[in-house]
Amino acid sequence: MSDIYIHGAGDYYAPYNEPAADLKQLVAEAVGQPVRRIGRFIQLALIGAGRCAQAAAIGTNSAVYFGSGRGDTEISIEVMQTLFRDGHAPKPLSFINTVSNAACFYIAQTLKLSGRSSFVCNRYFAFESVLQLAALDVSTNAVATALVGTVDVVVPPLKDYRVRLELPADAPIAEASHWLCLRSTSEGAQGRLLAVENFANRDALLGWLERQAIDKTCLLSAGQFLATDEFAALVGNLGTEHFLYRSNRVYYDSQSGAAMGEFLRDPASRGRQLLHINRDPSGRHAVMWIARP
Amino acid sequence: MSDVFISGAGLHTTLGRGLGANIAALDRAPIPPQLHAIEVAGNEHALPYYLLADAPLANVEQRFYDAIDAVIDDALTQSRLTPAERHATALFMGSSCGEMPVLEAEYRRDLQASRDALAMAGTSSLGNLATRIRKRFALQGPDYSFYTACTASANATAYAASMLRAGRIRHAVVVGVEIFNAVTALGFSGLQLLTRDVMRPFDKRRAGLVPGEAIAAIVLTGEPHRGGWRILGGANLCDTHSISATNPDGSAIAAVVRQALAASGTTLDAIAAIKMHGTASLLNDEAESAGVRSLFATLPPLCALKPYLGHTFGACGLAELALFCGRISRGALPASPGICADDSDLKITLNQAPRAQSPGHFMLNYFGFGGSNTSLIISNKP
Repeated sequence: MSDIYIHGAGDYYAPYNEPAADLKQLVAEAVGQPVRRIGRFIQLALIGAGRCAQAAAIGTNSAVYFGSGRGDTEISIEVMQTLFRDGHAPKPLSFINTVSNAACFYIAQTLKLSGRSSFVCNRYFAFESVLQLAALDVSTNAVATALVGTVDVVVPPLKDYRVRLELPADAPIAEASHWLCLRSTSEGAQGRLLAVENFANRDALLGWLERQAIDKTCLLSAGQFLATDEFAALVGNLGTEHFLYRSNRVYYDSQSGAAMGEFLRDPASRGRQLLHINRDPSGRHAVMWIARP
Repeated sequence: MSDVFISGAGLHTTLGRGLGANIAALDRAPIPPQLHAIEVAGNEHALPYYLLADAPLANVEQRFYDAIDAVIDDALTQSRLTPAERHATALFMGSSCGEMPVLEAEYRRDLQASRDALAMAGTSSLGNLATRIRKRFALQGPDYSFYTACTASANATAYAASMLRAGRIRHAVVVGVEIFNAVTALGFSGLQLLTRDVMRPFDKRRAGLVPGEAIAAIVLTGEPHRGGWRILGGANLCDTHSISATNPDGSAIAAVVRQALAASGTTLDAIAAIKMHGTASLLNDEAESAGVRSLFATLPPLCALKPYLGHTFGACGLAELALFCGRISRGALPASPGICADDSDLKITLNQAPRAQSPGHFMLNYFGFGGSNTSLIISNKP
């Protein structure tokens, strides 16, 4: 097994307001060219992946591990409304884009990649799940460079999307795209991935934490689905500091990737580690642990 | 590098419920699909579809979940995992449709009450089906839902095997699901890719595909005493030639096969037979035949299972793997009599009669929308 290093991060985050901000210019800046006939979900993927690729100078054999808490709801809703409400068969390109890995195709085509690509969905551990798959492939030398990211899109009208997310009628919602670039080589790395783990329950997590040499200077960040009191207890047990990355963020599903990007960009985090802990409603926990040189 | 074994399997397709019924059906010639009426906004479309055997298309939600539960239950029962082992077991899902049949039924119902009804009104997520399966079967390990079109459950299988091999997990359930839905049927109809006849991959008379329903599940383990067939390895690569078709020169397919062989620690000359993807579409069959011909000086025996199952999209990776393994375990390579019997314009032939097949290494190929190409290498050689 090889070590795994982080060579770049690329992020996009913006609270969603109507009318929706036009993303075409941001896409062109991120990937170096305009990309036509794509939906907003794919645009967001290109912005995050493109920014990450710029930061890490990736090669053509790079692999793409793309995740989401829900999938490309934009295209699914459009096709269902067109079909069942309006009575028209899906347009060919719309139908093809209902396969959620369509975004992987556009990332690979735009960034000129021909490596592996997978689209993987997990409602609560979206970023953690794709990071695990990418780390597996990098650590076993199955791939040399991995682009790992998640996307959250808002489908207008906003009031309807709040209903879909089961949020209050006035709740703000954001769109986001968070990406990391992983390699097994250390030269020029911005960080190192120490662990990405799953646990069946809290006891399994606590047992694992006891076996790790976690320095008091390690920062601890809370996944959005981890209860505040559980996180406070963990901070107390470990005697570490709380890393804040969500204080100015409004709701979107897959915020774990944001913790990674914020930590890697924070000048104060040089030489420190970040332990990010998340959980889902069934009591499973997930951990991402990274270090900066 | 440790081996990965299949310790349990379940399958429900148009051929039958249960792996045995499916295998037995391969001794009969493939039959043309029935047409099924899809009524949308007052317009009725009659489209070919292979539906699950013994599962009438009624009460869509219950039919969907009951059929999935039964297949997973078969695989888990056969695997004899203890409750503690099952608790830690990881779930790898592969599908194209996810819960679309259920979402369609809900939206249709809501639209009858109000034209302003919301599509996907609940907290819909492509991860919800995995969440439901985990709860139903008390699986508390990690879950990964692969949505990579027609390679989805093949990719789920490959990653489950990789995680087992790396010692990240001890057992995995892999599930492939593809169930009748209007979006898929009308989407492929709109692309003019459907035929009302038996699918004839690589044949001069090939005229398109027939969608098929399938639910397949296998349990994977690193413990040899529990299993027979082994997953040696696999690979997937993204082909950016076109979002809906593989590069017709076969180069992308040859590349993914080479990577799968390397990942499996085996070579072309060790491959005893190939299960082709075979969508019976003009371009994809051209690409696949060019790909395998470019690799082998002499092609091993080739078979295709879609004439029997239809194209089961996200489930085909696992449904075809289960059927292929099951038939060979009973001593014969699957055949498709009368389909691509002679050297076609694509210069390949498919196996025409069940032929005795000794244990060996086998290649299973899958190619999908979004440029997703996957090759798996499996073995029943001791």
